[in-house]
Amino acid sequence: MKREDALGSLEHIVLLAVMRLGANAYGMTVRREIESATGRDISIGAVYATLIRLESKGFIRSHAGAPTAERGGRAKRYFRTTADGESALRTTHEIIVKLSAGLKGLHHT
Amino acid sequence: MRDRTLQVLNWILSRIVPVTEREPLLGDLTEEYELRASEGSPSTARQWYLRQVCASVASLLWIRLTSIAWISTTAVALLAYIAVGVVELIVNEVTSSVSANAAYNPLGMLITFPMVVLIVYFAARLRRNAGLVLATLMLVSVTAMTLWGAESVPLWYRIAYFFAGPSATLVGSVLRRFRPTGEAR
Repeated sequence: MKREDALGSLEHIVLLAVMRLGANAYGMTVRREIESATGRDISIGAVYATLIRLESKGFIRSHAGAPTAERGGRAKRYFRTTADGESALRTTHEIIVKLSAGLKGLHHT
Repeated sequence: MRDRTLQVLNWILSRIVPVTEREPLLGDLTEEYELRASEGSPSTARQWYLRQVCASVASLLWIRLTSIAWISTTAVALLAYIAVGVVELIVNEVTSSVSANAAYNPLGMLITFPMVVLIVYFAARLRRNAGLVLATLMLVSVTAMTLWGAESVPLWYRIAYFFAGPSATLVGSVLRRFRPTGEAR
């Protein structure tokens, strides 16, 4: 795996959230998905910084949605994982599975 | 949220957020604020909004700075230039304890050269064009030294110095291109 293909911990979490949300992945839903899964009150700035980094790595792509009233007339920016992003997720997941296999205390009995 | 507070917080954020992210990010915050205000109390939503703005400032400033390529390239080149200066000072100090005529000692230049190559290599790994900016900085400073420097500096040293710095940056940049993996940023 190339160094640029490696996922940082927040990149990993954000990419998983984008993949889980599918067609409804935009800044607010990604932030809320992470908050509900981790219990962390993550900032929208950190989410956007990570989304931009993931897009520059080619792991996600984005497109603009239509403006809505509850957003003060501002448009959403939707994100989707790319094939490279899904491949990076698989690789990271395989590494985690290999490294945690057989470790006592990691698995619920 | 009081309109005034919302306007001030949005104004602060809009100064920091890159233009391309401004509309979606402010829209996301507004949407979630409205959601929280309708589900809970407006004061809790207001506190949440303020916390979000404060916690986002550092990340957004970082995006803003790194998105302006020439600023980060120049910053890396300037840091490398300072590192080269520090290396030269140390090498001069060490060679002065060995040789009586340390100020214009070819040994110092020979020791400094590979170190400059190494500094440029790492600078070019961070920013591809940092080597070019560093070479320009060196040429300007060496030309200034040659034109307005002390007259006691021997001609051979001036000529060697004129070529050594830019040559070292060239070698460092070329070595960076032979890096086995990765795309240049």
